[in-house]
Parts: sequence; structure tokens; C-alpha cells
Amino acid sequence: MADPHLRDTVLSLIAQRAARLGMSTSELTDDLDLLRSGLLDSLGFVDLVVDLEKRTGKEVDLIAAMDRPGGTTLGGVVELFARQA
Amino acid sequence: MNDPTWYDPVTVLDRSVATYSGREALRVAGRSLTYAELDREADAVAQWCSDTLPTGCRVAVLGVRDAISYAGILGVLRSGRAYVPLHPDHPEERWRQAMEQAEVQGIIAPSTEHHRLHGHTTLPLYVPMPHCSRVRRPGAEAYVMFTSGSTGGPKGVQVTRANVAAYLRHALQAWDIRPEDRCTQLFGLGFDLSVHDLFVCWGKGACLSVPDEGHALRLASYLKDERITVWFSVPSVIGLMQRMRALEPGSFPLLRLSFFCGEALPWAYASAWAVAAPNGSITNLYGPTEATIAILEHPVRTPFGTMGTVPLGKPFPGALVRVEPEEDVRTGELWLGGPQVALGYVQRQEATDAVFRTDPRGTRWYATGDRVREDEEGCFHFLGRMDDQVKVQGHRVEPSEVDRVVGTHLGAGRSVTVAVEGTGGVRLVTFIDVPGDTVALMRALKEQLPPYMLPEAILILGHFPLNSNGKVDKRALKELANHG
Repeated sequence: MADPHLRDTVLSLIAQRAARLGMSTSELTDDLDLLRSGLLDSLGFVDLVVDLEKRTGKEVDLIAAMDRPGGTTLGGVVELFARQA
Repeated sequence: MNDPTWYDPVTVLDRSVATYSGREALRVAGRSLTYAELDREADAVAQWCSDTLPTGCRVAVLGVRDAISYAGILGVLRSGRAYVPLHPDHPEERWRQAMEQAEVQGIIAPSTEHHRLHGHTTLPLYVPMPHCSRVRRPGAEAYVMFTSGSTGGPKGVQVTRANVAAYLRHALQAWDIRPEDRCTQLFGLGFDLSVHDLFVCWGKGACLSVPDEGHALRLASYLKDERITVWFSVPSVIGLMQRMRALEPGSFPLLRLSFFCGEALPWAYASAWAVAAPNGSITNLYGPTEATIAILEHPVRTPFGTMGTVPLGKPFPGALVRVEPEEDVRTGELWLGGPQVALGYVQRQEATDAVFRTDPRGTRWYATGDRVREDEEGCFHFLGRMDDQVKVQGHRVEPSEVDRVVGTHLGAGRSVTVAVEGTGGVRLVTFIDVPGDTVALMRALKEQLPPYMLPEAILILGHFPLNSNGKVDKRALKELANHG
């Protein structure tokens, strides 16, 4: 189960962009691919992860994370940080 | 070789098929094709074109990561026809425009993508032919590639096979690519730098490796897993990989040659790349689509600069270059001439005449709109644009083209799109002077514009700030976009 607090943080970081694209909060599900949906481009995605690293004080292995299937979904990002105890 | 057809793209590939038939030519979507296999698939496409389509017509190729796209390009050229690439990420509306403007007569796309084309076209779609012979028809035009246009929408640049041959003549002679090399294929097939990817690699009997979808974030693994030795990308990829902490000292020991093109290459990026790929050389290329792929080159050597960007470099042999009109000694707009200058824009005579000019001696020139300075050694340095055009991760964007599309949704209102430089590169912000549903507007834009042309935000202003000439003050809007 993904950390609800972490998930909220991710949501708050992508909320403005999602609203501008006309995506409702109900569309922001765990399996939403942040890149394929057009919500973020690859630079935006890296920025999101780096931002989360600063907020959580954790450092993640981005290269390995990207090789995992679902690594760029909303749930995938939350899990990436949840794993890093 | 002085025979002008020696470097024709079709001839170049035929030669490699004859010499390297059993070697691996293409790795894409989990498949590996030898030169002989690629040759057969291309012949099937050439046969279909010959049997189904009018002579000398244009054929759309949907640029997905599938062997059929590559065989499609080769087959269309072999049949004496020109290809018009469609970018898979672009909205279908944009495809329709391009196909209409270029008067496309048939489409090559894998059957899995046919559903995206139904309802948008009644043109024949490629089906593999049960029989095929070796079709080779002479053809003048190689491809039509669409770039952003300030008025009247995208412009399709008409490039001939002779233009491509002039590029390949230099590329295949000057750059040391070998049959055992593994070359990247990172550029979308709708981008003319992909023509370099395909024909420079195949002209040398090397193997072209196409990464899977979503590759931008997986490039480091792709480079290692595919044992890439020859690299070609836009410089912003370096920034992305740097931020992913993928550029450690010696990360890519196998890389022998790295080429960058499509936007300015900052010295800081070149240095970071050299640290990660210590056994390779770096070449910076410059050239607009209108002058076929690239036409200036700069070998990056020590000592590296610490600030600013790597020079554009010196012209290829045979290319003509002038700085016009000179604002100062050797400073002004860069004009390009010679065998790489394209025919013009399809069905856009006015736009063609505005930038393709013939001088009194009969030489055709393309006015690039790039401001440059030529130094004492004949090396060119980029100073900026003469107009508002910007590069978004290597893609040319005319902000006013965004406004043209926004305008169709605004009624009496106006829109002004500005480009602002941010930490992650250039972003577009659109201002409109009428109240409205910006979310609905953004949705509508998504249907009409490619992803890199979508504004990051649409902001409503009561009225636009004006400068002393009474024109919209874009500088003030940029300030607002940055801080507002």
C-alpha cells in the first residue's frame, strides 16, 4: 500500500499542471502514466523526482527506477520513494 | 567518388546490402534485421508503391518505432517517390493538414496503427505484397518535412535526393563510422536529423539501434545494454541525463563518436559529456532543415570553453556561406548556398520567396534567420535569432503559430505567446485578452498542436501591455510569464 502522505505530496506537485490540462482529480489514479498522459515531459518528470528527493531527504536510483515497468506512473513514483526506507 | 549518384541514399543502401548482407542493420521493437532482411522488407514496400500509387507521388510514413517505418522510408525512395513522415505523438488533425498540403497519395503504417488513420483519410494503407521484385525508379524528391511556420501554419520543406547525396558525400567521407559500430536512432522520423541516423549508419554497414518508447528517461541503460558506439542527439538530452545523475566519469567507455545538433550546445554540457564518454570525440553540427540536415561542423577539442556555447563551426566542403547584411564586420544573418539548399516549401510560394533567394549570379541561397559572427578562422558563432523563433528541445517553434491556432478559438480576442527560458529549457506561455475557459482551450490545443508546442500555461490579461511604439510589449509579457 502506497504511503498516503507521500501520494498527497506528489499530487500537490502535479495538481496545477493537471488542472491546466483539464484533468480532474478523479483521473489522477495510481496507474496514470505521468509521461504518456502528457502531464509531464521527461525533464518535468526528473524535476518532480528531484523535488521529492529534497522534500523527503531520500535519494533514489532514477536510472534503475526508469527501467522498471510502471516506473513513470503516479503509483510508480510513490512506490519508488516508499521502497527507500 | 565524383559520380553525383554515388551518394544517392538509395544507391548508398544498395551498396551496403551487397557488401554487408549478413550483418545486423536494424534493431527495433525487439526485432533484429540483417541488411538482407531490411532489403527484402524495403522491396515489398517499393512493390506496393509501384502497384498501388501514381508515379512520382508522395507517400506518408507514420514514424513509429517499428521495422515497417524504416523499410517504408527505404521502399518509398526506391520506388522513385518521396516520403512525408508523420510524427506518432502529433494529433491526427496535424497529420491530416500535412498530408493534404503535401498531396500525399498513400500511407505506410503498421496495421496496429491503422485505427488512428481511419476517419482521417481514405488513402490506401500499406499491406505487405505477396510477391516482390527489385523496384528501382529514378526520383528527384526525397522527403517533405514539416516545420513550424509563423503565418499560415506548418511549412513542408521539399528536400531532393541530390540534397541528401550532398550531405552524405561529406558525412560518409569525413566521419569514421565502421561496420562494427552501433549507432543511435533517437531523432523522431519527422525530424530531418533522423535522415543522418539512417543513412550515415547504413552507408557504413553499421547497426542502427532504436530505443523503446519512453526512451528519454532510459537512455543510460539503452546506451549500455545496446553497447552504443556512435551517438547523435539534441544537446538538451545531456541536461536530462545530468539531472538523472547518469553522467558519471567513464559511464560510457564504448562511445567513440558523439554528434550533437538541433540547438546550441553549451560548453558545460560538452564538458559533462566528455567526462562520461572519455574515449570518444564530440562533434557539434549546425543546419536548418532547409539546408538538409547539417552544413556546419565543429570538432570539440580541448581546451573546452567554460561559458557560453560551442561554436557552430565551419562549412562542409562545397557549401556556400555568407553573412548578410553585415551589421558589423562579419556579423549578421547567416545565408547558406550550394547543393544542400532545398527546393522550398510545398504549396507556399510566398513563404518560399521570403527566404530562398537567388543572387544576380544565379546562386540560390537560404536565409536562415540566425544571427552569427564569423571569427578570423572562418568559424561561425551563434548570436541569436532575427525573429521570435525558439527551440523547444531541438524543435523549431514559431510562437505566433501557437497564436494562430489559439485565435481560431477566441472570437474577437487576441493571444500572444511568449517563450521564456527556465531551468529545464524553453517554456511557452500564452496570454489572452478575453475571459474564457482556459482548460477547454488547452484541451482544444492538444487536438491541434504537437506536444512541444503546447503552452505550459494560458493566462488571461484585461489588456496587453504596450511598448512605446504602441505594439504589444513582449518583454513585459515575458516578465509576467516568469514572475506572474
